[in-house]
Amino acid sequence: MTEIAELVSIAFAAAIVSNPVLTWFLGICPFLGVSRRLDTAFGMGAAVTFVVTVAATLTFLVQRWVLAPAGLEVLQYVAFILVIAATVQLVELWIRRFQPDLHEAFGAFLPLITSNCMILGTCLLIWLRGHDTLPRAVVYAAASGVGFTLALVLMAGLREELEEADVPGPFQGAPITLIVAGILALAFMGFAGMGRA
Amino acid sequence: MLAQAAIAAAVLLVLAGSLGLLLTIASRRLAVAVDPLEGALMALLPGANCGGCGFPGCRAYARALAGHEVPPDRCTVGGPAVGRRLAARLGTGAVTPAWPRRPVVHCGAVTAQRRGRGRYLGPATCAEMDAVAGVQGCSWGCLGEGDCVAACAYGAMRLEEGLPRIDYDRCVGCGACVQACPREVIESIPWKRDRMLVVACRNHDPGRSVRDVCDVGCLGCGRCSRALPELFRIEGDLAVIDYDRYEAEDDIEEAAALDRIREQCPMKSLVLLGPPPASVAEPDDGEPHEAAVVRAPPRPDVDDLDWRG
Repeated sequence: MTEIAELVSIAFAAAIVSNPVLTWFLGICPFLGVSRRLDTAFGMGAAVTFVVTVAATLTFLVQRWVLAPAGLEVLQYVAFILVIAATVQLVELWIRRFQPDLHEAFGAFLPLITSNCMILGTCLLIWLRGHDTLPRAVVYAAASGVGFTLALVLMAGLREELEEADVPGPFQGAPITLIVAGILALAFMGFAGMGRA
Repeated sequence: MLAQAAIAAAVLLVLAGSLGLLLTIASRRLAVAVDPLEGALMALLPGANCGGCGFPGCRAYARALAGHEVPPDRCTVGGPAVGRRLAARLGTGAVTPAWPRRPVVHCGAVTAQRRGRGRYLGPATCAEMDAVAGVQGCSWGCLGEGDCVAACAYGAMRLEEGLPRIDYDRCVGCGACVQACPREVIESIPWKRDRMLVVACRNHDPGRSVRDVCDVGCLGCGRCSRALPELFRIEGDLAVIDYDRYEAEDDIEEAAALDRIREQCPMKSLVLLGPPPASVAEPDDGEPHEAAVVRAPPRPDVDDLDWRG
């Protein structure tokens, strides 16, 4: 397979087949918390996509140039958390200074992302899956972000419809949300086996 | 073994140190100058973040104020006292600060008094009920599903026999209920006195049609507007009070006149609402005091995952 085809396959697998939310259960908190309205869901998704791409690039470099040469892969978790937290802070400072409109739009989402396990998960999965060149890692991370956005937007659309629905008493609120999320995840199982996992 | 641990610690320390250094430099280099005036104004605002001023929170209003984009009288929670303090800090001198605004319900019919109620099985919200024909004879009045009660972040509203009642001790005047009502039954009025006179009806139809659908609605007979033409006017068979001309001072004579009219109203559609918000009663000494700080009760930081479906 050529490199381009390989990258497309990685992206498709990351965004659809192994959707970070619907098959890996990463980032469930924002998936349930910020999916009440379409526009906020999309804003959160865009912010996460941006941050995960930047964070994955940096953690890739840290792993490749710092941890691996020193034989310290055991420190992956701690080092990655450090890098991610610092990255989010830096990105927020940067955006506030140079893109005030964007800062206004991302607003509350950026600090929330710091503790989003989907970011750390993606950075770790890059190595677990053996995406060991920088382009592959970046494509994988960006596609994971897109997959996250897709899941959030789908869920928000469904929940906006749910507001109108006549839900039986015992299922109102959290139960029906979780059931809907489960069915959505089941639907994504239909992609299982397509491309590389 | 020990050497490896030392290396691990050293690597982490260097990593953390360099990231910390990077962040420190970045926070210096990328610092955004915040107008000190904005901070000072922010401290004067109540901090309820209710949105009653039309801005998405106290900080946004303070920023607009600092840019001299809006007058300092928009804060409904703080009322005149906060308005004066903001004006003084801005140096804009004498502005006539607005009265604190509080919601009133322009409907006096409890469920039993509303005629022509059809069977309705849809979602129990006024917004959706309002979209269905034939749910209630009166197409102007309260539907009684309590969208306003759900919208109130301060627990100041409750439904009694299908009619929202407002607890004015808790209400801060943010106007959430006004926006929640699909029929504009709730209005935010300038609260000038301890208790305010309100027309408890919003039906603009002729008296005969009103009688068909309601036991207590305003018929537009005009008795009140003939007695006090400067205060009442008839708008399409509905009595409306002009609150701009409502006297703030307690005038014995006028109070008596209002009481008389209240007695005379054939449908008893004129009601006195209150008690007062504290900001009207308390003397304003120009100093910020604790009572002016109102905070919404904490909400779940994620979503409130409940529907009233």
